[in-house]
Amino acid sequence: MPVYIDISRCIGCRSCEVACQRVHGGKGHVNVHYVGDAASVPIFCHHCEEANCTKVCFTAALHKEGERTAYDVKKCTGCGLCRLACPFGVVWTDKIAHKCDLCDGREGGPTCIVTCPANALSTDFDLASKRARSRAARAAAQGGRR
Amino acid sequence: MIKVDKSLCLGCMSCSNVCPSQNITRSESSEKRIIHWKRCKEECDLCVEFCPARALTLVPFDENVPEPDVSFDLVACRICGSRYATEPMLRRIEFVLPLNLQKDSTNLEWIRICPNCRRDIEAENVTKQIVMERGKKSR
Repeated sequence: MPVYIDISRCIGCRSCEVACQRVHGGKGHVNVHYVGDAASVPIFCHHCEEANCTKVCFTAALHKEGERTAYDVKKCTGCGLCRLACPFGVVWTDKIAHKCDLCDGREGGPTCIVTCPANALSTDFDLASKRARSRAARAAAQGGRR
Repeated sequence: MIKVDKSLCLGCMSCSNVCPSQNITRSESSEKRIIHWKRCKEECDLCVEFCPARALTLVPFDENVPEPDVSFDLVACRICGSRYATEPMLRRIEFVLPLNLQKDSTNLEWIRICPNCRRDIEAENVTKQIVMERGKKSR
């Protein structure tokens, strides 16, 4: 259940970054990147099926828990290998590793999703296409697209 | 006290992080990382246990043995030039990960690129996708 982005909706406000930092004691795991004036893209953990970070972690602090790539703070030595093994640059180490934990244990799910004012984030992979289909259905019901 | 096999040490941050008595110090400048093991009398082997390279061994205390240190030149990112890792750490990643995961779809050797630039590249790739989709819609 990773978080998916509908980039066409992202307005680049960085609310997700701030919300993530608030929940994780100041250490956020989302970075909004701006690509010229074309787009803003929040970058965060994909919770890869075959996660590189778990492969290089020698204490098994990083491990798979179902779809989630989870980490056990107690096992982490802060060696920094996971940070270098992530192809997307979304694992950080200062003293210990930290990354997106999908707001584990937080009522209401990941805070970035709840906070995003543009509804650009969700745990539903197909949300963008579902929205497109319902827009099309609405348009058809109203006698064509305006 | 601790004996270090310098040929095995990755220059990672494990031992200096786990040492409860701060007997292993790590100093980092923009170009170098130096790890220094103080001569310690503790009967503790946490650093030995948590060394990913098995480079450390616990040996009897001897005040005539000089305190070991290891120095690593940090590797520069191929894109931005910032120094972000030690060479042995990157080699370790290259050793552990399967070959087909070491290059992305554009044949980019991402391991040799710093995490900051990796995020930038990901943002650019995602943007290219939506620009292409917009192109399709407008046709």
